[in-house]
Amino acid sequence: SALAAGEKCLECHGDSEDVLPYLKTKHGTAVDGRTPTCMSCHGPSEAHIKASGGEKPDRTFNHNPQTPVAERNAACLACHQKDARRSHWMGSTHEARGLACASCHQIHSGQDKVRDRSTQAEVCFKCHKQQRTEVNKPSHHPVLEGKVICSDCHNPHGSVGPKLMKRDSVNETCYTCHMEKRGPFVRNHEPVNDDCTICHNPHGTVAESMLKMRPPFLCHTCHTPHAAIEPTLGGQSLGPKVPGWNGVNITQGRGCLNCHTQIHGSNNPSMTPTPQFLYR
Amino acid sequence: AEDAKSEDDATAQLKSPDSSVVSVGAGGVSGNASDRTLFGQYNGLRDQNSDLLLDVDIRKRDDATGTWTILQGRNLGLDDRELSGTLNKQGDWKVNVDYSELVRHDPRSINTGLANAGTTTPVVQNLAAPGTGAGLNLEQRRKGLTLGGEKWLSPNWMLEASFKDETKQGARMSGIGLACGVYASSNNVCGTPPAAGAAGLFAATAGALLMLPIPVDYDTKQFEGRLNYAGDRLKVNFGYYASFFSNANSALTPGIGIGVLPGGSTVVNSAGATLTDLMRQPMALEPDNQAQQLYVDGTYAFTPTTRATFKLAHSHATQHDDFAATLMPPAGVSNLGGVVDTNLAQIGLAARPWTKLSLTANAHYEDKDDKTPYGLLSATTNAMNSQRKTTGKLEASYQLPDNYRAILGVDYLSVHRDPPVGSVALVDPGFSAFREQTKEVGYRAELRRSMSETLNAAISFNHSKRDGSGWLNPALAGFPTLPASAIAATGTIPATLEDRTRDKVRLSAEWTPIDDLSLQFLVEDGKDSYNSPTSAGLQDSGMRNYGIDAAWKLSDQWRLSGYWNKGYQTQHVNQSIGYMAELNDVSSTVGMGVAGKPKEKLELGADLMVIDDSNRYQLSGGGVPDVGYRQLRLKLFGKYALEKNADLRIDLVHQRAKLDEWTWGYNGTPFAYSDNSSVSLKSNQSVSFVGVSYIYKLK
Repeated sequence: SALAAGEKCLECHGDSEDVLPYLKTKHGTAVDGRTPTCMSCHGPSEAHIKASGGEKPDRTFNHNPQTPVAERNAACLACHQKDARRSHWMGSTHEARGLACASCHQIHSGQDKVRDRSTQAEVCFKCHKQQRTEVNKPSHHPVLEGKVICSDCHNPHGSVGPKLMKRDSVNETCYTCHMEKRGPFVRNHEPVNDDCTICHNPHGTVAESMLKMRPPFLCHTCHTPHAAIEPTLGGQSLGPKVPGWNGVNITQGRGCLNCHTQIHGSNNPSMTPTPQFLYR
Repeated sequence: AEDAKSEDDATAQLKSPDSSVVSVGAGGVSGNASDRTLFGQYNGLRDQNSDLLLDVDIRKRDDATGTWTILQGRNLGLDDRELSGTLNKQGDWKVNVDYSELVRHDPRSINTGLANAGTTTPVVQNLAAPGTGAGLNLEQRRKGLTLGGEKWLSPNWMLEASFKDETKQGARMSGIGLACGVYASSNNVCGTPPAAGAAGLFAATAGALLMLPIPVDYDTKQFEGRLNYAGDRLKVNFGYYASFFSNANSALTPGIGIGVLPGGSTVVNSAGATLTDLMRQPMALEPDNQAQQLYVDGTYAFTPTTRATFKLAHSHATQHDDFAATLMPPAGVSNLGGVVDTNLAQIGLAARPWTKLSLTANAHYEDKDDKTPYGLLSATTNAMNSQRKTTGKLEASYQLPDNYRAILGVDYLSVHRDPPVGSVALVDPGFSAFREQTKEVGYRAELRRSMSETLNAAISFNHSKRDGSGWLNPALAGFPTLPASAIAATGTIPATLEDRTRDKVRLSAEWTPIDDLSLQFLVEDGKDSYNSPTSAGLQDSGMRNYGIDAAWKLSDQWRLSGYWNKGYQTQHVNQSIGYMAELNDVSSTVGMGVAGKPKEKLELGADLMVIDDSNRYQLSGGGVPDVGYRQLRLKLFGKYALEKNADLRIDLVHQRAKLDEWTWGYNGTPFAYSDNSSVSLKSNQSVSFVGVSYIYKLK
């Protein structure tokens, strides 16, 4: 068992607050015959034992480890490769960039930060700086609140989808929470079917609805209509409203979406009023 | 003897996962709900001035059987509460139940006379002036229940299954609009143009915008079952994933009284319909839909250093929700009959033929075939719905002398979009040309060096080029080829279809000058240049980021961390009348944190985060003002051990936010709809939160 096989190590590390909590983890469940010993991961480390700690163990994982990343990860994958969620680790972005398991996971800790919903993002933000900024913008998924966390959408251990998406595509991943956008609709909107991130930045933006830009500027990257109207402000007054289609009403409020309200697709079978414009 | 016992207890605590911790307390928030619309968007602290703080964490391990019992509850007194329970006999079986709630409060302040808001039959009632109606809070509440289980059938076979049911209820911001005066053409939004000389039609004042929140009453069910085999070389998973969406509402039909809308009685088409008649037309809501997927994926080890990964999947998605009668579907057609079949194949190879060389290859093909009989409803459609996507990647990583590592990679992406089936033309698609296929080839080069045991650095370059098939005319039946010279220079082509050249460079370094101090540096710069036969649409975009991170262990008791980031993003968008929009976003973020344990019984921590974001919208014809967002958030906590098994924790949070923007108001005037419903946001918000909790560890 882990405990028995670790006895030799515990002679010296038996009161170490850095080492001992591993017995709190699943690695420390003695009755499970699959659990590793200290030496399963760190190697026999005879020189380390003989020198009473003067030499480093055969495999080290932290504090400027000399063990190559592939060898370090092999120690973990010897058991954890069996997990279906790691079937695409080999060749994944994180593997190819030389990320070690221990870069994110605290193996000896009773509370691995990256596996706790309230602290996971802190670990990911060590590398993903832009996302750290974006989740603090006013329109964001509740990442800092711990309600939608990085691993709800991404599989950091590798996936078939782009950007380590948990499901096979960006859209399939988004649909797990936003299935009303899936359709198909009587009238579809091409980029909606293609990739939600054409218009949205899911980590956060200042523009509403996590849109990369406010309408009409976002819409103008693909569409021409209403070309004679330039985005303007200040036409609103406390008197009678300026009706419908003008510089103010394509800029303020929901912008183009003030009229093209069913922008993700409309299931209206009627031919009036012109349903291809996604009005209703 | 007492000291020895105490030491034994401390050691036992380090070894045993058993703990039963209940944290109970109260929290208070300053101001009122409108002061904390940004702060309280998701965290359950918007509506109430005081809240119950209740967390539970109970975990036991039966060392004799290796069985874990875990019960965790977080924010149980707030409306984003979570509760989960797990029973797990390690290496044998596991069952878990998770319950979660989340409320998203719309941060906008709404004042309206709308009756039945958030239902399928809202009634528009004109206000004498903006601000004279009643407040309306829009929120959407999710409640999710997940059941899961795993069973190891043998050392090689495992079965796992999960089922999640989530409801989402409330209302979200939406509306409708119509402007007839400007549509005097054959595709008139208000119908056939009037006969020559007919007076009073298409009056320029005939138009309206109405705010009509959409009722949300969704139910989403997801089931996934997977049988996993893990042999020495082959690891394979057979999976089934099904998802079902249902919406209790099919259509929204607004009620608008005669005379409510300014100009509402204006006849706007030759059939004699008034503006009010058209604004009362029903809006279709999101239809029920479902999808099922069968897949097999896994990995095969040819040798310990050469592995293949693979996935095959077939998905069948349908949408046959009956149309509401009020939507007046054509005779004999009760629903869309939507069917989308998707086939996916992926194969990858990762090998390390020599210690110094790693190779990775990956190919991915996805065929999404939209079999929906759109023609039953209309001869026209407006989108290309079927597509085939092929991606490929080749990468080599080689360890060079002097601790250099070089990485070279090639990426390929091809997307083929089928033109609409059964369509005579894309009616007024709003763009001048489209193409069936785009292809992008990218090249990557990266050089890394471990300069010493304490310094690593990397520089990478990415270059890619996208082009595609010939341009097609969206406005003519059959979509004939459109020579570039025949496309109006002022027309727009969708940015996703334009030719694009992308360049990016990234420089990063990690330095550990002393054991207790680590530093990270990052600089990246990228530019996309778009090219199409027209001069309108997206022209180019760019990004640049700088960042420094530091973590410093000051002593065994104190740790300090900090970061600074500055990011720039630009987009140049041209419009057909000649205005060029230069859109620039500059974002600065600073964070600092300190955590320590100055005394055996006392833990302290502080985190400060400041973000300053500025969006500039410069238009050649004048433009709109900048949009600014500034936020400062200070979080302090202290935890004191009152007894061996009881702590007192105090949390203080102070957040100041300023969102200076014009989306829903300008110069202090809220955006107002035709019925004088108005929407605004309190620009300056300052919130303080105090929470006091008693943490009891049951023996």
